[in-house]
Amino acid sequence: MKLFRIKVAAILIAILGLVAVPLSGVALAASKVALVLDVGGRGDLSFNDMGFKGADEAVQKLGVELVEIQSNSAADYLPNLQNAARSGDFDIIIAVGFLLADSMAEVADQFPDQKFGIIDVTWLGKPNLMEIGYEENKGSALVGALGAMTAAHYGYDKIGVVLGIEIPVLYKFEAGYRYGMHWGNAKYAEVTGKNPGVGLLWNYTGTFSDIAKGKAATDAMLAQGAGMIYNVAGPLGIGDLEAITEHLEAQGKSAGPPFMIGVDANQDYLGDGHRVLASMMKRVDFGVYSAIESVVNGSFKAGVKILGPGNGGIAISRRQDLADFIDFGIKGGVITEADRGPITANWDAMRAGIPSWIWDAVDELEAKISSGEAEIPCGWCPDTIGDIRNQYPD
Amino acid sequence: MRLHQLNPVVESVVAGIIGLAIGAAIMLAYGYDPVSAYSSLFRGSFGSVYSWAESLANATPLILTALTFAVAMRGGLFNIGAEGQLYIGALAAVSVSLIQLPYPLHVVVALLAAMLAGMIWSLPVALLKLGRGVHEVISTIMFNWIAHFFAFYLIANVLTDPIRGEKTISIVETSRLARMVPHTSLNYGLIIALVAVAVVLFLLWRTTSGFELRVSGHNPEAARYAGISRRKQVMTAFVIGGATAGLAGAVQVMGRPPTYAVMSGLPQFVNLGFDGIGVAMIGRNHPIGIVFAAIFFGGLLVGGRIMQFSPGVPLELVRVIEGVIILALAVPELRTVVVRLWTKTRGRKQIDGT
Repeated sequence: MKLFRIKVAAILIAILGLVAVPLSGVALAASKVALVLDVGGRGDLSFNDMGFKGADEAVQKLGVELVEIQSNSAADYLPNLQNAARSGDFDIIIAVGFLLADSMAEVADQFPDQKFGIIDVTWLGKPNLMEIGYEENKGSALVGALGAMTAAHYGYDKIGVVLGIEIPVLYKFEAGYRYGMHWGNAKYAEVTGKNPGVGLLWNYTGTFSDIAKGKAATDAMLAQGAGMIYNVAGPLGIGDLEAITEHLEAQGKSAGPPFMIGVDANQDYLGDGHRVLASMMKRVDFGVYSAIESVVNGSFKAGVKILGPGNGGIAISRRQDLADFIDFGIKGGVITEADRGPITANWDAMRAGIPSWIWDAVDELEAKISSGEAEIPCGWCPDTIGDIRNQYPD
Repeated sequence: MRLHQLNPVVESVVAGIIGLAIGAAIMLAYGYDPVSAYSSLFRGSFGSVYSWAESLANATPLILTALTFAVAMRGGLFNIGAEGQLYIGALAAVSVSLIQLPYPLHVVVALLAAMLAGMIWSLPVALLKLGRGVHEVISTIMFNWIAHFFAFYLIANVLTDPIRGEKTISIVETSRLARMVPHTSLNYGLIIALVAVAVVLFLLWRTTSGFELRVSGHNPEAARYAGISRRKQVMTAFVIGGATAGLAGAVQVMGRPPTYAVMSGLPQFVNLGFDGIGVAMIGRNHPIGIVFAAIFFGGLLVGGRIMQFSPGVPLELVRVIEGVIILALAVPELRTVVVRLWTKTRGRKQIDGT
């Protein structure tokens, strides 16, 4: 009897589903963009928020309509992309992040007439897919040089880098940072006549989410005399910065050195504006925006597009980027409007404390990278990272 | 009219309507049109072959984790350990990909390994309860966390994909469950889940052990008086539950396209075990009820994605509305369970003379 009742209940539920079908009917809009995010989702103040920032700018400047699709679970990636493509509503569907690569490969084949874009993926090779990759190695070389010279200037003989899971993508950061440190050492010796011999401390924490590990790794590096900590593990930067803040508080100070170097987004506004010296900005927003723009002005081209220092995809954070990212931080809810003034003043004081020749040297390296005179390891080096570590030792 | 005298079917329908109404009120409060949102929800979950396939794909692991909870509940136990057991089951299925076997033997071995792993993971909980009187709610929660971090360890250090460190190796072709409908997530894992339902149905209603289990759940004192072994009954409940939860992890990783691997952070597994509790509650802790409840629940998750497209309800709010509907639907069974638990406790106190 009870079984029967349950069956009836189930049938009712099923009928409810069927009845709802004729209620369907979607309004078709003209120029629409779908942005599919991975499970990290919004609110990371970094990668995903940057993707949204780019799409949001396209809404403001290009007048496109944006639908943002977050993923509840990794099992959602494929259906989220499929649903967007099946609707036929979207001029372009952009997936933010390499976690969506497998699903994108399948959906791009399944819907050959739909235009797609994906960030941080360069190996799929589909005729309807724009793949956007970044030269993180070049940006890392710039902050490596800046880090080494600044550390030497303040009398430190070590710089550190806290990395996430040991995957080939992160080798690009490590290799570039190593190159930059050696370049910075040489430059410092050339300018001042003193060989600073700044060395490298590096740690693959094995996580992109356990903030406590970022703090522990940074604590260890500070104890060994590091004057600069480069965050290459997304949210672990929060832990890195916490360690630096506590280290400074113990000496009754608030401003660095030691400093952190931010990643992906411009994170300079964190740490009251004077504990993050600079950020290796990977302009995910720029990538998303340019993909949307290409569809709007009809220049969309499938294939790999590499963004680097030459075309604004990778950059060291400058004065003109600060206000923009203070807005970003306010939107993200980590700072308030009242913090804008003090952060800006602190940041100016922090940057003014560093000799202008160091900034000139960073510009010089950037020019050499753009002209191809400086060859930065590495584009993809799971096989050769060992050699690179020997060539540019700790 | 007393609420608990209502027919269960009427009860569920009323509860569902109340849930939808509250959800509508929440959407109105946030400025979204509930009519277009709900039509998106149901169109997205059951409006086409594709959406039916996606709903059934989502239902597959939930059927299995709901069985874990329901079997224990039938025996008067609160097994909320499906979450951890399914992680372990999934990793066991992945590790079987390290050996080479022909299809379909490879599939069978992987499924058996996952079931075995799930059972082994639930065993300490049963033994702690029998040996030391540790309540299963406490121990299953603890074992869920042990499984969680153990899984992180295995993903990062043992079963790691050499090229992509954020995931384990992928299940090899010979050990995958094929898709039932092309270009959808629906795979033959659904059949495995339905077989598990049939087996549990048989075990609980057609065998002596099952009968004893259900008697113990209904009236532990009567069961003791009738000479039913407590030890055997607890072991049965946890072993069956561990097996179905392990299977849930296996079908999710072996059948769900496109990556066929356990990713760092377990993003395709997290909450399947807990959602199974909700499914079991909506399905009145009955295997047949669970099948339909899981399809409904799975459909809700699929339709929720469509609510993000039109009318553009953000995922956070979609989750709230899904939660409200599920909670409303679970209330009737929750009440029964709470009442039973309360009378049981009171009864025991009277017997103890306290």
